[in-house]
Amino acid sequence: MREYLLYIKTGETTAMPAQAYVTPCFAVDQSFWREREGCRLHVIGRSPSLALVFSLREAVNARLQERRASSQPWSEEGLSELRQLAVARVREANALYACEAGSAKPLGRTWFTWEDGEGAVRACRSGELWPESAPLADSPTADTSIRELLAGRALLWEELVTLLGKQDVAIEEPDLMAMLQRMVLGERAEWRPGVCLSVAKGWRRRLDLFCERCGSGRRTMELTVCHTCGQGCAYCTACLGMGRSKCCTPYLLVPAPLLSAGEQVEARLAATLDWNGSYSPAQAVAAEQARRFVAAGRPGLSQFLIWAVCGAGKTELLFPSIAEALSAGGRVLIATPRKDVVLELAPRIQRVFPHARVIAVHGSSPEKWEDAQITIATTHQVMRYYQRFPLVVLDEADAFPYHNNPMLYRAVARAVQRGEKLLYLSATPPRYLRKSLVVKTTGMLSPLFARPMLKSATHVLLPGRYHGHALPVPQVVTVQGLHKRLRTGRPITALLELVRRCLESERQLFLFVPRIEDVDRVVYYLASFFPDAAPSVAGVHAADPMREEKVRAFREKRYRLMVTTTILERGVTIPRSDVAVIGAEAPVFDEASLVQIAGRVGRSADDPAGTVLYLQADRAASPRAAVRQIRRMNQLADLLRARGQQA
Amino acid sequence: MRVDSCVGCGGRAASRMREAIVRGLAHRLATAACYPVMYRSVEALPLCTACLEKLPLIGDTICPQCGRDGKTGELCPDCQKIPAETLQSNRSLLRYNEWGKDLLGTYKYRGEERLASFYAQLLTIAVHRHYKGIRFDCIQAVPLHQQRLRERGFNQVDLLARRLGDRIGVPVRSLLLRTKMTEKLSKQAGRSARESSMADAFSWAGESLKGNASGWYRVLLLDDIYTTGSTLRSCAHTIREHAGTRGSIYSLTIYR
Ligand SMILES: [Zn+2]
Ligand SMILES: [Zn+2]
Ligand SMILES: [Zn+2]
Ligand SMILES: [Zn+2]
Repeated sequence: MREYLLYIKTGETTAMPAQAYVTPCFAVDQSFWREREGCRLHVIGRSPSLALVFSLREAVNARLQERRASSQPWSEEGLSELRQLAVARVREANALYACEAGSAKPLGRTWFTWEDGEGAVRACRSGELWPESAPLADSPTADTSIRELLAGRALLWEELVTLLGKQDVAIEEPDLMAMLQRMVLGERAEWRPGVCLSVAKGWRRRLDLFCERCGSGRRTMELTVCHTCGQGCAYCTACLGMGRSKCCTPYLLVPAPLLSAGEQVEARLAATLDWNGSYSPAQAVAAEQARRFVAAGRPGLSQFLIWAVCGAGKTELLFPSIAEALSAGGRVLIATPRKDVVLELAPRIQRVFPHARVIAVHGSSPEKWEDAQITIATTHQVMRYYQRFPLVVLDEADAFPYHNNPMLYRAVARAVQRGEKLLYLSATPPRYLRKSLVVKTTGMLSPLFARPMLKSATHVLLPGRYHGHALPVPQVVTVQGLHKRLRTGRPITALLELVRRCLESERQLFLFVPRIEDVDRVVYYLASFFPDAAPSVAGVHAADPMREEKVRAFREKRYRLMVTTTILERGVTIPRSDVAVIGAEAPVFDEASLVQIAGRVGRSADDPAGTVLYLQADRAASPRAAVRQIRRMNQLADLLRARGQQA
Repeated sequence: MRVDSCVGCGGRAASRMREAIVRGLAHRLATAACYPVMYRSVEALPLCTACLEKLPLIGDTICPQCGRDGKTGELCPDCQKIPAETLQSNRSLLRYNEWGKDLLGTYKYRGEERLASFYAQLLTIAVHRHYKGIRFDCIQAVPLHQQRLRERGFNQVDLLARRLGDRIGVPVRSLLLRTKMTEKLSKQAGRSARESSMADAFSWAGESLKGNASGWYRVLLLDDIYTTGSTLRSCAHTIREHAGTRGSIYSLTIYR
């Protein structure tokens, strides 16, 4: 069982104030501090629970701070007071944990074991006591290669072992632990418990748990009887799919240092852009604005938003920014919510940056643990990076699963190197991004007349499509008893009219429904009105095992009508198609989602028009807001065009 | 995974259609005498109607030895090869398909301990279905090796045993220790390799096993899956060696 020692380091001068440390191998700390003059180490105690020892460190450091503030000198009494503090805290944690764990029983006599005082050292896996112990020799070559592998990553102990295994680094666990602890002491890395534990203060004391990896709180934690640590433990259910984050799992965070000279040369070489496409005037402005943001020296702005309507050609806009970041000698990360986008994007980016190493990182990717100049990853995988990339691009910043998911925003923000750049890319940016990054013209009479500026130091807005035609404005139709009509097979005129037009003119139609149950209902409804077209109607939803085949068949025009839940709201683009939303009042269709759905239509230059129909059972806010947003974008695009013609 | 969501698909577990399906399943699984208790057990499963319907239940004609789905109700080819048995019989509730594989993987390897109550519920149904008439003296979960236990943090079968024990009112004992680290099933060459690697994998933990007034003991061995049965046979063998022949040992698994 791993054990962790809590000790205090004191120095003779005020420049080196007393401070508490946690270590898994005390001998390393002893030899590290011995090299510094005038350090003394005082052991507080030890425990197998990493989370407990960390919470004690917090408490002890807070007390030391108080003592410093009241300028009390360090003394032996101070030490015994701190030990008492620790004991009291352990007792409290035990009581609170027992309370929360309910009927479960601890493995030992108590939930948390704690051994107090100098006696704790002997049993800790520390080798011998200072000053008898020999200094632990660094093995420079092994250390350097491991350090390089870990740079810019945030890994649970098990993941760390997997990574080293995949890269054929052979090192025994105690040696690895010791090596990492030296990095921690040298402030090149940081340990944390996977799930940390604290006592929340308030009118009633209670145990608070927090997942250091995904940022989830008490609500998603499961208390458990843990055989790994033999202590009171908890695991996080929110990020379980990425491996279990627990109170007793060490979590190592290593910020990436700047690339070495050699690597910078390589990155600069990789920056060669091989693309012979061209930009529309508006695209050129947007791409340049984003590039300038990336090129701005520190201390500069750290966040920027490209707000480009569906069909504006977002990916191409990124090329100059990526090239800029690479030529400054750094790595680039593009994070996107879905695996299929990762797989589609990687070859596209590779084609235009032929000298760069581009990797696609998702759950089952063989390149998961590798290094590259350009990394394209799903947002879940981004959780494994830590301050690694000078430029991070967050694609579809509004999409599921970011939507209402602070966990993934946090992961993306943590992947950015300190003080570097985060670039958001979105067709429908969420309100808080618009608030913080989009500058508005001041309204003449009231804020209602304020409209977003086309560009500022923190954003650029691309209101028109690359082919220059306006976005199709949705029709909103309220149908009394919409859902009952569907169930009972009574006609819904607007819908049937649209379907008939599509079938007659050889167009294709997406029909969006709010719930999985509605898919079959609508398929059946359509087949009953258009029996001849029945074989060319298909329904698809997230859990459909045939999903990919059906989408492929739709692309190949073997199906004409596709009934779907919001899973196809983005990504899938079919030329010459129309869209209907049946039940647009449902909460799953918020403003952003409805705008995205409308964005499916008219994306190709040879067919820029098309119909978007929102059918609602009663009057709802989101369809109206979506129409308003699309109208406003068209107005802005007109304005931009008019200005371009003047110039 | 909230209480009202389906363990199998994450969808909503409650529905108007559910009642009828639960009743149908309970009829299929129960004899007339234990219908009410079976109904309650099926009703408590956190599954939606769709997942309840596709539950891969093992049918009524099975191999009397290992509990595998069969056509005739006679010993299956595998069981014919194994002579005298220390293990009285094995029973399982479900066939091991892709769905089961994913779900068991989530429980066992990803460590989603919250699935324990779901599985314990399935095991309760299996006991009512197959071992209704037997009064067990204790439940013994197949133990994990100490090192594996430390890596994983929990013994997935032990969690099930405790919950099952609570539900059917039978104490859980720790009679056995695992002394040999065996390779993962997938890494082992064949059936005979597995059989020999399992031999002497367990030892007696030193507890005494008394049984009922006439000195006859009945042990229920518990595991998550019966693959070749060699693990369970090895456990049964070790119990026999230490507790004597005056007793019978049965086993129960979720998957077969
Ligand atoms: Zn978490
Ligand atoms: Zn633990
Ligand atoms: Zn289900
Ligand atoms: Zn058999």
